[in-house]
Amino acid sequence: MTVRKFRPPNRLSALIRDKGGILAKDAVAAAEAGVETLREASMAALDEALSEIESRFGKGAPDRNGESFEALYLLASKVIDVSMFVTEAGIDKAAMSLCGLADSCGTAGAWRWDAVDVHLNALKLLRAMGAQLPVEQRDAMLLGLYQVSHYRPEEG
Amino acid sequence: MAEALLPSARINLERATVLVLDDNGPSLDILSQVVSGFGVKQLYRAETVADAQSLIRTKTFDLIVSDVQMPVTDGIEFIEWLRRDGGETNRYIPVILLTGHTRTSQIFKLRDAGSNYVVAKPLTPKVLLERIFWVAREERAFIECDSFIGPDRRFKHEGPPPGTDGRRKDDLPAEVGDAQTPNMSDDEIANLMRPAKVQI
Repeated sequence: MTVRKFRPPNRLSALIRDKGGILAKDAVAAAEAGVETLREASMAALDEALSEIESRFGKGAPDRNGESFEALYLLASKVIDVSMFVTEAGIDKAAMSLCGLADSCGTAGAWRWDAVDVHLNALKLLRAMGAQLPVEQRDAMLLGLYQVSHYRPEEG
Repeated sequence: MAEALLPSARINLERATVLVLDDNGPSLDILSQVVSGFGVKQLYRAETVADAQSLIRTKTFDLIVSDVQMPVTDGIEFIEWLRRDGGETNRYIPVILLTGHTRTSQIFKLRDAGSNYVVAKPLTPKVLLERIFWVAREERAFIECDSFIGPDRRFKHEGPPPGTDGRRKDDLPAEVGDAQTPNMSDDEIANLMRPAKVQI
C-alpha cells in the first residue's frame, strides 16, 4: 500500500491573516445578532418538527410501527438543528437522547415504544415549561431520559 | 492543544469563499447567518449533496462547513467524495462537520471520512469561529492512501495502536520497560525543582 504524506497549501490560512478584518469578539457579536433575527422562524421550525414527530411516532399514530428508525433520527436531528434558542429549557438535550434512542433501536432492529413515548412526553413538557422548571427537576428528567435511551452525554 | 482564539484576535474572512451545506432550511439559515457575521462575503449555500457537488465542480472554495445527518447522501459520503473526486483545487480544503449526534463511535466515523473538525449542534458562533481559526492555523499533514484521504489522524502522539509495533521509524513501543536508575526521593525532587535564593 502506498501512503503519501504531504502538506497541501492552506489558502484559508493566508486569507485569515490578511490586513484589515475584524476582531474575533466583534465577529461573534455580529453572528449572534444575525442569528437573533431568525429566532421566530427557528421556533416555528422547532414546533413543526416536534409536531411531525408526535403525529408520526406518538402513541396515537396509527402507522408508527411501519415508520423507519432513520425517519425518527432525522426528525430528532431537526429539533437539535434549531434548538439554540431553547437550550435553557433542555430541549436540545432531550432531542439528543431521542437521537441516541432511534440509533440504538435501529441497531437492535426493534422499536422500544415505551422509551419513545417517555421522550415525546418529556419534549412536550420541556417545550411548554422547560425554562421555568427548577434546574434539579429538569436535570433529573434529562437523566431519566438518558437512562431510558442509554445515551451517554459525557461522550458527546 | 490548538491555540485559543482571543477576543482581541483579528481575523479576516472577507476574501474567503465558503460553502455551507445543510438539508434543513432553517438550520442552513442559521449557519449562513453565523458565517456571514464572521465577515465572509462569498458564501455559497447548498441544501443537498448534489447541489454542493455541482458547486465544487465549478468554483474554488477555501472552507466547507457541512451538516452530517442528511437523507439520500449524508455528510460522511460527501466528504469521502470530496477527498477523492473533488478536483485538485478543492479536495484538500478544510472541512468542518456539524452534528447533533456526537457519540464517540460517530465522531471516529467523521474523522475517518476525512474531516478536519467536528462541531456539535446546536451551533454557537463562538465555537464555530474558534474551529475555523484552528483549521486555518493548523499545520497537520495530509495523508493519502487506498483506505483514507484526509488530515493526518495521528497528531496526538499516543503511540502505535495497542498490540502492534507501529509502522513509523520513530514509533516507540507501548511498554516502557524496567527503570534503569532508582526512583528519586521527594527530597531529591524538591532539590531539583525548588527555586533557591543565591548570594552573588
